Amino acid sequence: MRRSKMLAVALPLAVGLAGLMTTTVFAQNLSMWVRESAADPGKLMVDLWNQTHEAQIELTAIPDNQLVTKLATSVRAGDAPDLISFDLIYMPDFMRAGFLADLTEQLQADPNYETHIQAYKDIATYEDRIYGVGFTPDVSILVWNKELFRQAGLDPEVPPKTIYEIHDMATQIGALGDDTYGFYFAGSCPGCNIFVTSPLMVAGGAHILPRNGEDAALEGDAIREVLDQYRQMWEEGLIPEAAEVDAGENFVSAFTAGNVGIAGTGGFLLSLMERQFPDFDYGVTLLPGLEEGQVSGFVGGDVVAIPTGGANEEVAREFVTWVLSDEAQLEGLAKNSILTTRTDLADNEYFAGNEKVQATAQALEAGYVPWVFRFADMVNSDSSPWINMLQRAIFDGDVDGAIEEARARMLEIASQ
Amino acid sequence: MLSTNNKYVGLLYLSPALLFVAVFVFYPLVQLIMISMTSESLLGGGEFVWFDNYLLAFSDRSFWMSFWFTVRYTLIITPILMILGFLLALLTMQNRPLAQLTRGVVFLPVVIGLASSSLLWVWLFNQQVGLFNKALVDLGVIEEPLVWFNRANLGMTAVIVSVVWKVVGFGMIIMLSGMQSISHEVVEASMIDGASYWQRVRKIILPLSARAILLATLISAIGSMLAFDQFYLMTRGAPRGQTFTSVYWIYQNSFVYFKLGYGSALSIILMVVIMAGAALQITLQRRGETA
Repeated sequence: MRRSKMLAVALPLAVGLAGLMTTTVFAQNLSMWVRESAADPGKLMVDLWNQTHEAQIELTAIPDNQLVTKLATSVRAGDAPDLISFDLIYMPDFMRAGFLADLTEQLQADPNYETHIQAYKDIATYEDRIYGVGFTPDVSILVWNKELFRQAGLDPEVPPKTIYEIHDMATQIGALGDDTYGFYFAGSCPGCNIFVTSPLMVAGGAHILPRNGEDAALEGDAIREVLDQYRQMWEEGLIPEAAEVDAGENFVSAFTAGNVGIAGTGGFLLSLMERQFPDFDYGVTLLPGLEEGQVSGFVGGDVVAIPTGGANEEVAREFVTWVLSDEAQLEGLAKNSILTTRTDLADNEYFAGNEKVQATAQALEAGYVPWVFRFADMVNSDSSPWINMLQRAIFDGDVDGAIEEARARMLEIASQ
Repeated sequence: MLSTNNKYVGLLYLSPALLFVAVFVFYPLVQLIMISMTSESLLGGGEFVWFDNYLLAFSDRSFWMSFWFTVRYTLIITPILMILGFLLALLTMQNRPLAQLTRGVVFLPVVIGLASSSLLWVWLFNQQVGLFNKALVDLGVIEEPLVWFNRANLGMTAVIVSVVWKVVGFGMIIMLSGMQSISHEVVEASMIDGASYWQRVRKIILPLSARAILLATLISAIGSMLAFDQFYLMTRGAPRGQTFTSVYWIYQNSFVYFKLGYGSALSIILMVVIMAGAALQITLQRRGETA
């Protein structure tokens, strides 16, 4: 009798414990790192995955400037996360270093990969092998304040179509008076400017960054023309004085403050405006070049990849495939006013009637992303030849000298 | 004379500290020296290159620019910190309630993190909403709000103001401890002899707290030569890299350009320079004491 009582207690306990152990062993929770500035859209996607999949992903936001160091040290120590979402420009360096798992066969067999945005395909391919896919996309665009356009006597529905028109319209807006400016750019932010200033040059036919020491660097008349127009706008007081020291802090707020007519920005602005400034009257268009019809954009955002040495590679691969699925693209991205990374889904129910998002989606298809090693050295660092060129040309006025110096330095870096 | 047993017991007592120093100081230092002789990248790879990184460093214009900028920063900020610290220590030397309160208020910023205080000052120096510009305009010192970080000298001035506010209390406390250890008899004797306040300061307090002042100067000078956070957060090297400090440049090379080997070599060079400077300072002080 006593034995049967003991069994009656012990059996359910044992079954419960076994169940708990099974859950612990087979739940296969995944770890994922995401750079802090892309954590919001990344979380939307991960939350959606967690709602519909047994294997749960735990997302950790890493400060942008620490992500490279942390990934490098974790891969070398054999303690990498299962998945990682990072700024796409680091892809060439990471692929060459052997930090990422090869996804070629899996992605080539996936029909959704065929309609993946070309820029993401390009940046994630190294020596004909594929190592990642676009995760939370972004692209640079031009925005204009329609209210200021009206006040300046400009047609609020007609955006500038060349860099010269940007200058002309900025002049008219600047004439509205004190504390109203025609144009804005963050003068000490290398990343912001490769994002919004370089497409003006690329649209005009310029080639910016060298892939190696023999490649062209800063070639094309558009570079000089764009810098010259910026320089003139700066000298004419059409750009706020504080822009010279803006390292990106006011990259967005300068426009949302309402006293700037035209500015380059990213697609991320759209959801922010919807949430915080729903009544702000502004337009979105592609970044123009020197002549009408020339357009471009810098394709940015994050790619998702699998660091080598992760413990749950099989499930991580499932996640990469899922990222390109209709569910992830429409319910995870489009539903939240984030661009899709598949061209066949750019025209969807969530974007219908939203001209701003549609214009941004066009920019994503027309945009470019430079495939170079040591992008941080050439562009993103605080002392890069790219930012030195912009500052010397625009604020010091030595346009030709600035281009020459930056070109030599970029080629030196690319040849190392 | 210690017996052999006593020697071993002494060594046993010392061993935790020795182990700590070996693991956390000597081992990393040896590793650093080894990496500095390779072309190791943060992303992996690299080979042994002997002294190539050191030779490269001597022709690296940006490194020497950042080094001389750091020296200039140190030469300006150290005397300010020492003189202000000394005067504040004099002011709060007596253990009266008001002096104690002043001591507490001046020391308070020392416990705030340098990163937090730098961010606070970035906001205070902001051209549009910063209180510092507003105060200067209202006082008639400047006509229009300044953009503090678009000129190297202005940027450095802003950093110096913020750092002085942050750490002057530390020097004050060290010097105060030196002053309070001076025997009352000596001071009272000088008063009986008719020495004025400033004569007592010059002839008694200053020489007798010289060791504390040297310690505060050393700590301040070494801290300034290793400046990073304040410039990283306030100037970001702007304009055109003119406000890069040596450590900032080492950080750039190691973690932004991925050149771990080269960054390690720069660290070793900086370490040797700082050690030489500190040794010189101590030697000069000792000569002064024996003269």
